[in-house]
Amino acid sequence: MDDIQAVNALIRRCVTGDAAAWQEIVQQYHRRIYNICYRFSGSPEDAADLSQEVFIKMYRTLSTFDTTRASFMTWVTTVTRNLLVDHFRKGKYDRITDSLEATPGNQDDGLTLAEKLEDPSAGPEAGVRSQEAQTLVHKALRKLSPELREAVILRDLQDMDYKDIALVLKVPEGTVKSRINRGRTELARLLQRSYRQVS
Amino acid sequence: MPSENQSGMQCVECEGLLAEAIDGALHGSTLAAFEAHQQSCPACRTMVEEATAGLHWLEGLDEVEPPRHLVHNILAQTIGALPSEHAVVSPRGEGWLDKVKGRLAPIFAPVATPRFAMSFGMAFFSITLLLSIAGLHISDLRRLDLSSKGIARTYSSTQARVIRYYDNLRLVYEIESRVRDLRRVAAPEKQQPEEPAPKTQPKSDNRQDQDKNRTNQNYSRDASQPELAVSPAGNEPGMKNLTNQARLNRRTA
Ligand SMILES: [Zn+2]
Repeated sequence: MDDIQAVNALIRRCVTGDAAAWQEIVQQYHRRIYNICYRFSGSPEDAADLSQEVFIKMYRTLSTFDTTRASFMTWVTTVTRNLLVDHFRKGKYDRITDSLEATPGNQDDGLTLAEKLEDPSAGPEAGVRSQEAQTLVHKALRKLSPELREAVILRDLQDMDYKDIALVLKVPEGTVKSRINRGRTELARLLQRSYRQVS
Repeated sequence: MPSENQSGMQCVECEGLLAEAIDGALHGSTLAAFEAHQQSCPACRTMVEEATAGLHWLEGLDEVEPPRHLVHNILAQTIGALPSEHAVVSPRGEGWLDKVKGRLAPIFAPVATPRFAMSFGMAFFSITLLLSIAGLHISDLRRLDLSSKGIARTYSSTQARVIRYYDNLRLVYEIESRVRDLRRVAAPEKQQPEEPAPKTQPKSDNRQDQDKNRTNQNYSRDASQPELAVSPAGNEPGMKNLTNQARLNRRTA
């Protein structure tokens, strides 16, 4: 509970105009916000722009944060998610997603992607951890519908619990679980399909 | 495919428990019923396999490193200041550049980013240095049009060029310390404010020659046209003010 109290004290200082407190908040949360934006938008440039917008919005609305209703982390995530939804609904950041098959490394060393992912000598962990796999999964994520994408990002990349995700997305927990399930299975199918295409 | 089998669990229920099952949060009879359903229902078995694989892929995604300037940019756009303790180390407390940034923050709040502030700092530095070569001194600049509008005009024409050269914090701080040197040298002259700016012969002054060499290094510019380094479009209104004023001062000197 010390963490929560520390964060709440930080926010109180911030609301009274303490610049150092705000700087602390930016330092503590920019990484998380950037990563959510990056995995959701797919692009590092968009993620940087969006993260800045999130903090501008947070800065303006910090006084509306109610410590009794949700944790600050949930509030920060909600602000981020609402801004993402807002932008992508407007189509501001919509772009033609790169082909899942056009991954770097297909041409450079003669190994197919499938061979890299399924390198028998390396074991499955090495496959998932390789740079090629990271790129592939990142692009596959971009192909999920925004609803499924945000659900798996919050659960599997940000380790949020179902209750908090339900608060952020403003849907029942059952719906959250169902979206996470569908997001995961769809992602697995997308990656399986690309595996079949390159092999 | 059966919607209900001997385990008594339906596919819909099975799907509802999938997330918890993958989390390892099912226990006792619920877990037993879930597993029994898997045995007899290939569709649900596939579903579990795919969801597990998807989770496995997602967990393999590493956290990415935000861009270096993200915190700077956020602070500049919110409180209009640079981070105090996380900034690139500024050698001696509050630097000259920081003071300029601080003073400009309210004026340029909508467009202020560290890059903007640095670019402006560099534009100001360039003007200072070049006017100094042209025989003027820092103290003279106080009489020039350094209103926000004048600066903004000069800035916009300079920004693109300056960014290319100074997109590097370390370089900026290095130059900042050179500005400090320049000011230190200019300081004795400021002590005689009523004196007109002394006529200096840039060519014969050793220090001025050094400064000019620096200018050439920094701008890769032709020594015969130092003004162009400040504003490639010499007919920019903001720049004209400065150069006209410079000429005027040179005449009166
Ligand atoms: Zn079933």
